[in-house]
Amino acid sequence: MIKVENLTKEFEGFKALDELNLHVRKGSIYGLVGVNGSGKTTVIKHIAGVYKQDRGRVIIDGEDIFDNIPIKRRLSYISDDLYFFGMYTLKGSAAYYQKLYPEWNSDRYAHMTEKFGLDENKRLSKFSKGMRKQAAFILAMSSMPDVLILDEPIDGLDPLVRRLVIKYIVEDVAEREMTVLVSSHNLKEMEGLCDSIGIINRGKMLIERDLDDLKSDVHKIQAVFPEGKEVVLEGLNVLFREKRGSVDMLIIRGNGDEIESRLRKNKPVVLDLLPLSLEEIFIYEIGGEKDEFKELLF
Amino acid sequence: MFQIDLKSRKAIYEQVVDNFKELIIAGVLKPDEKVPSVRDMAKELTINPNTIQKAYRELENRGYFYSVSGLGSFVSVPAEAAGSSHRIKELKELFRSTVNELVFLGCSKEEILKLMEETGLSKGKVDEND
Repeated sequence: MIKVENLTKEFEGFKALDELNLHVRKGSIYGLVGVNGSGKTTVIKHIAGVYKQDRGRVIIDGEDIFDNIPIKRRLSYISDDLYFFGMYTLKGSAAYYQKLYPEWNSDRYAHMTEKFGLDENKRLSKFSKGMRKQAAFILAMSSMPDVLILDEPIDGLDPLVRRLVIKYIVEDVAEREMTVLVSSHNLKEMEGLCDSIGIINRGKMLIERDLDDLKSDVHKIQAVFPEGKEVVLEGLNVLFREKRGSVDMLIIRGNGDEIESRLRKNKPVVLDLLPLSLEEIFIYEIGGEKDEFKELLF
Repeated sequence: MFQIDLKSRKAIYEQVVDNFKELIIAGVLKPDEKVPSVRDMAKELTINPNTIQKAYRELENRGYFYSVSGLGSFVSVPAEAAGSSHRIKELKELFRSTVNELVFLGCSKEEILKLMEETGLSKGKVDEND
């Protein structure tokens, strides 16, 4: 559904995106993660058709997105820095959106405004920051998009509203196969919501995979092996090993069952094998070769 | 129906699989009973529909569900369920760690063996090969 190929963008000599590739399947919820300044928002602005690329292509549903009005009518984008017309109320904004988006759904707008408990006759400039975010979400969802792009949407919302937002997103993915691309630093929340993950670093795509595959691929192990005997780790892809007292800390890539059966041959006194959480994968992959980051994992 | 623990390290689809298995083994879900659609389940749990889909496929592969095209997924008759080897492995693991803990806390071998005698073992319902 969304395909980004070799996307490159420079700002005054600074290479913000460097041959970046990204793929989002139809009906998927894709999580884009990366440290501050890694290029998340820049990618998102290309996919939303706000920026024009230097090189490469951004394709949605088989067509280039930039200046493509028919595709943009089927796409909603909530940016990190929201923009509303100065004097507009939520009601006024809804009337404006209705003219732009042919699939606009007034019933849904009314229903959501009530659910979120927003006063549609109050000026948006008088709303709190969180309420403005909710207003943007109502407007985006009421335009019934095929593609929804969210730049840090849930950061800054209270837990109740967050659940409501996630519920609406899941519903539309289930009912109409809406495709979602979302960036966030809240990796715990992303873990429950997304099925695919892209980790970007310095303007490049570092890893792009199914979340479950990503998680079942790397394991962290705490083990105590019998003293005085050489531990056999043959056939295991050991990424990191550190001894703390008698406890062995290992990070091993591969199938969990196989790792376990191989380690068992050493007759460990204690053997705990845990898949990494998304947060740990993030620290591990971004931290790269630096051991001080890997130490954060234990 | 059940809750998903986002803090757990277990993959969400595995949690869905395990929860359904438990409900089927406990008899809460009866054979040939229709299970909620992927959509309804996703909405109820507020979990990605693709994750639920994956769990349903897995349940089908392991013989707990069967699907009828156009009608949805149904609970299989337990006799057809072929996923027990996985469970046996899990239980063995649990057994191993339990015994280790007992040893750590000072239980003697005799005590542990006696404990085992008191369970189903004495009824002779044991697989000689195990």
